[in-house]
Amino acid sequence: MSLGPTEARLYRAMLRLLPRDMRRRFGHDMTELFAARLQRARGSALRMAGVWLRAVFDTVEHSLATRTPKRDWEGWTMGFIGQDLRTSIRSLGRSPVFALASVLTLGLGIGASTATFSVVHSVLLEEFPFEDPDRLVFVWPEVNANKTMALMAEERMTALSGVSGLSNWTLTLTGLGEPVEVSGLLVSPDYFEILGVSPVMGRSFPADADLPGSGNVVILSHDFWVRLFGSDPQVVGRVIELGGGGHESREVIGVMPPGIDKLWADVDVWVPLEGERSLGLADDNTWYVNERVARLAPGATLEQANGQVAAYARAVADELPGHFEEEEVTGATVQPLRGYLTRDIAGSIWIALGAVSLVLLIGCFNVANLLLARGETRSKDFAVRVALGAGRQRIVMLLIGDAVVIGILGGALGVLLAHRLVQLVAAVGPSELPGIGDVGLNGPVIAYALLVTTIAVLVAGLAPAFRVARGGTTAGLRGTARGSRGHPLGPVTSVLVGSQVALAVMVAVGSGLMLRSLDGLMAVDPGIEGDRVLAFRPTPPQNRYPDPESYRDYYSQVIERVSALPGVDAVGGINLMPGRLDNWSFPTHPEGYVVPAGAPTPVANFRAVRSGYFQATGIPVLTGRAISGADRSNAEPVVLVNETFVETFWPGEDPLGKTLSIFSASGTSYQVVGLVADTRQHGPRRETQPEMYFSDLQIPWDALSLWIVARVRDDDPMALAQAVRETVWEIDPDVPISGVSRLAEVLNETTATTRFMTWLLTAFGALALALCAIGVFGVTAYSSGRRKAEFGVRLALGASRVGVVASAVSRSLGPILIGLLLGTVGAVSTTDYLASSLYGIEPRDPVTFAAVVVVMAAVGLLAAAVPAWRASRVDPVRVLGSE
Amino acid sequence: MSTCAEDHLPLHPLEFRILLAVLDGPSYGLRIVEEIEARERSVGTLYPANLYRRIRSLLSDGLLAESSPPEGADTRRTYVLLTPLGREVAVAETARLRDLVAEAERYEVLDGS
Repeated sequence: MSLGPTEARLYRAMLRLLPRDMRRRFGHDMTELFAARLQRARGSALRMAGVWLRAVFDTVEHSLATRTPKRDWEGWTMGFIGQDLRTSIRSLGRSPVFALASVLTLGLGIGASTATFSVVHSVLLEEFPFEDPDRLVFVWPEVNANKTMALMAEERMTALSGVSGLSNWTLTLTGLGEPVEVSGLLVSPDYFEILGVSPVMGRSFPADADLPGSGNVVILSHDFWVRLFGSDPQVVGRVIELGGGGHESREVIGVMPPGIDKLWADVDVWVPLEGERSLGLADDNTWYVNERVARLAPGATLEQANGQVAAYARAVADELPGHFEEEEVTGATVQPLRGYLTRDIAGSIWIALGAVSLVLLIGCFNVANLLLARGETRSKDFAVRVALGAGRQRIVMLLIGDAVVIGILGGALGVLLAHRLVQLVAAVGPSELPGIGDVGLNGPVIAYALLVTTIAVLVAGLAPAFRVARGGTTAGLRGTARGSRGHPLGPVTSVLVGSQVALAVMVAVGSGLMLRSLDGLMAVDPGIEGDRVLAFRPTPPQNRYPDPESYRDYYSQVIERVSALPGVDAVGGINLMPGRLDNWSFPTHPEGYVVPAGAPTPVANFRAVRSGYFQATGIPVLTGRAISGADRSNAEPVVLVNETFVETFWPGEDPLGKTLSIFSASGTSYQVVGLVADTRQHGPRRETQPEMYFSDLQIPWDALSLWIVARVRDDDPMALAQAVRETVWEIDPDVPISGVSRLAEVLNETTATTRFMTWLLTAFGALALALCAIGVFGVTAYSSGRRKAEFGVRLALGASRVGVVASAVSRSLGPILIGLLLGTVGAVSTTDYLASSLYGIEPRDPVTFAAVVVVMAAVGLLAAAVPAWRASRVDPVRVLGSE
Repeated sequence: MSTCAEDHLPLHPLEFRILLAVLDGPSYGLRIVEEIEARERSVGTLYPANLYRRIRSLLSDGLLAESSPPEGADTRRTYVLLTPLGREVAVAETARLRDLVAEAERYEVLDGS
C-alpha cells in the first residue's frame, strides 16, 4: 500500500500548504493514510479523481484552519461560504463583462496548463504497469547485440537479476479473413518474470522456449486478442497460422493484461527469441537483438550496475575485435527504463510545461489587475461597509471571494477545455512518444488542475486583498475618485503590467526560436521526391514462400503488375524505407582504403534495392548507372555508393570500377557501377552517412522483404492505393499489405516531434501575446476612463487630442519598457534550455529577439493607445458640466 | 494550555473519537482511522489533513503525547498516547454526553419523533 512516485510527489507538494511543523511531524503518516484512501479507489479513474479532489479540499480547508484561532474557525468558515461567496456571486452577476473576461482568461490558462501536464504525466511520470518499475533498466542500449551477448550480461553483472533481449519482428497472420501483418517482439522466456507481469489468461513462456525449434508458442497482447479474436475466452491452446521467425504456425499459450503493449513499440504478440545457448559470441548470428531489458538484483543500485557494465562491455569487445567502436565500449551504460525511452523528448516537454505556466501566470496577473480595478470602483461600497462597522478582514474576504468564484468557474472551464485539448493531443501527438496515445484526464491530472486553480486564485486575489488590507478603502467616502493623483497606474498595477510583458517576451522568444528552427529544418532538401510516390509493404508469409527464389519472384510480380497500372510512371523496391528509424549498418572494405592504425573496421549503411527504386524516388544517379533487373545472382555483383561514401573512403577519386566487400575483406567483391546523390534518409537533423545500395537479387542470404515505391503522374498518390491493393492481392490474396502511405508523409514523420513541440510553443506564444495585450488594454482603458475629466479640461484649454493620447500612452510606457527589458534578460538566461531542440540557429538568435521585442512593443503601444484614444473623444463641455 | 479537564469541553467529535481510539495504548494515524471506522461505520471517510490537524491540536493541548514507536515498528511513524489529562477529558466528555442523552431521553425524543 504505497503511492507511485508521481502520486507521492504531487501529494507531498500539496502538503506544503500545511504548517511546517505539521509536515515534519506527520508527513509520513499522512502520506500513508492517503495511500490507503487511494488504494481503495484503484481500478476506477473516477473514484481516484474523487479521492484526489477530497484530498485537495481536505488539505486546503485544514491548512486555513490551522492558521486561524481554533474557536474562530467554524464561524469564519460559515461566514465566508455563507455570506461572502454569495455576495461575490451576486456582484459578479451584475458585471458580466468583467466576470466573463476574468473567467475566460483563467480558463484558457488553466486549460492549456492542464492539457500540457496531462502529456507530462502520461509520457514522463505515469508509472509503468510493472512490478517495481524503477528497478527495470536497459543494459548497454547504445549498441545492437546478439542473444549470447544478452546471456553474458546476466552471467557477468551481479547487479542484474535477469536480462532479456528484445527484437522487433514482423510476422504474418493468415486464416482469419484478410491477411494481417503482425508486430511481434522476440523476448527471452523469463521476460515477463523480469517485468513482474502475469498473463490474464493462460501462462508465460516455458523456460526452454528459447531453444531452437521449441519456440512455436505465442502470447497475445490484450488489444490484439480483442481486435483479432473478439476476446475469445477459448483462445489459449489454439494453433494459429502465424508465419515468420522460423515457424509457420504457433500455439497461443497466454494473453497479457492491457497496457503493457505500448511501451517501446506497439506490440501485438510476444514470441520467444530462439537460438543456441552455448554458442560463442562470434558464432551467434542473432545480431538483431535491439535492446536488453533487465531488473536490478535485490539490494543492487543503478550505480553498481553502471560500475559493472564497463567490465562487461570490455569483455564482449575483447571477444569480438573490430566489432565495436572504442567510444561505444568506454561509453557503455545501464539506463533506467523511463529515462532512456524519453531521452530525446523529456527536455522539450518540461519546457512546454514551463512556457504554459508562464502563460497562466500572465492570465493570473490580468485577473489580478481586473480585480484591482474593480476594487477601486467598489471602493465606495467598501467605505460604506467600513463606516457601518465591517472589519477590514471582511472587505479582504469579499475580494478573495471574487477571486474564488472566478477561480472555480475558470477552473471548471479549464478542465472542460483541457478535456478537448487532450483528445486533440492524443490524436495528433507524435506516435514515437511512449504513452502519448493514453493521455487523458485522470486523478493526478485533475489534482494538478485543482492545484493550479488554487494557486491562480491566490495569485489573482492576493494583490487586491493586500491593497485593501493596507488601507486602500478609505478614499472611497472622500468623493468620486478622480485618480489623477500619484502614479497613473498605481504601483501594484505597474508591477503586474511590467511582469506580464516580461513573461510574454520570454514565451514569445521561445516560440520564435522554435519556429525559425522548424523553418530551417523544413528547408533542408531530403534528396528524395516523395510527393507523388505511393509506398507500401507486402509481406509474403514464410509458409507460402519458403525458398528465397519464390520470395524474390513474388516481388518481381508485384513490381511488374503495379508498373502496368495506368498513371504509374516508375516502380521500385527497398528493404528499409527512408524516413523510418531502422537502419542496417555493416562493416565495409572499400578497395584501396587503409584503415588508420588502431581504428575499428569502418561501417556504411546497407540498402538492398530493386530496379526502378532511384527513378521512383527521384534520387539522381550522378554518374554510371542504376541497379537494373539484370543484376541477378548469376550476373557480376554490383553496388552503388553515395557521395558521402566516396568523400569518406575515396576522396577525389572516381568510384566507378572500384570494388568493395562487406563484413570481411575476403568476402564477395562488388563492383561500383554508379554514384548516387546524398539523401537525408533519417530526417534533416541527421547528417548523411556513407551508403551502399546493392541489388536485392544479389544478396547472398535469405531473401529480404521489400517496401515498394510507385511514382504516379497524379498529384495524389493515395488515390491509387485501392487499385494497388487489388492488383497485389490478384497475385496472392493471403499476403498482408501494410504501411500504405504517401512517401512524403513518411519522410515528414522524421520531424513530427519537432513540429508538434513547435506548434505547441507557438500556440502558447500567441496566447501569451494576446493575454498581455488584453492586460495592457484593460488597464489603460480603466485608467483613461478615470481621467476623462482631466482630458476634458485639457482639451477645453486647447490641448490637441494627439497630445492628450500621447500623454496617456506615455504613462503606460514605463512598465512596458521595463517589461521588455526584463523579458529580454529573462529570455537570454533561459533559452539555453532550448538549445538541443533547435536546428540551424543559436539560442540567442538576435533576429528572433529583435523581432519579438519590436512586435511586443508595437502590440503594447497599440493596446494602450486604442483605449486612450477612445477616452479622449470626450466632449469637454459635458465632462466639465458633470463635475 | 489548561490542566482542568472541564476547560477542554465540549470536545470536537473527531477529537473525542481519537482519544477513545488510543485508550488501550499508543497508536498512529492509519491505525487510529481504521479503529474509528471499524467501530463506527457512519463516521464517513477521514482524510489526512483533518485527522492530523486534530491530533496536532490534542498534542498542543496536552491531551495526547508523542511516544516512541514500539519494538520493530516503522520508526517513520509518529505514535501518540493518551496523557492523564487526556484520560480525564475523555471521561468528562463521556459524562457530558451521557447527561445530554439522558436529558434528551427525558423529552422522549426517540419515541415521539
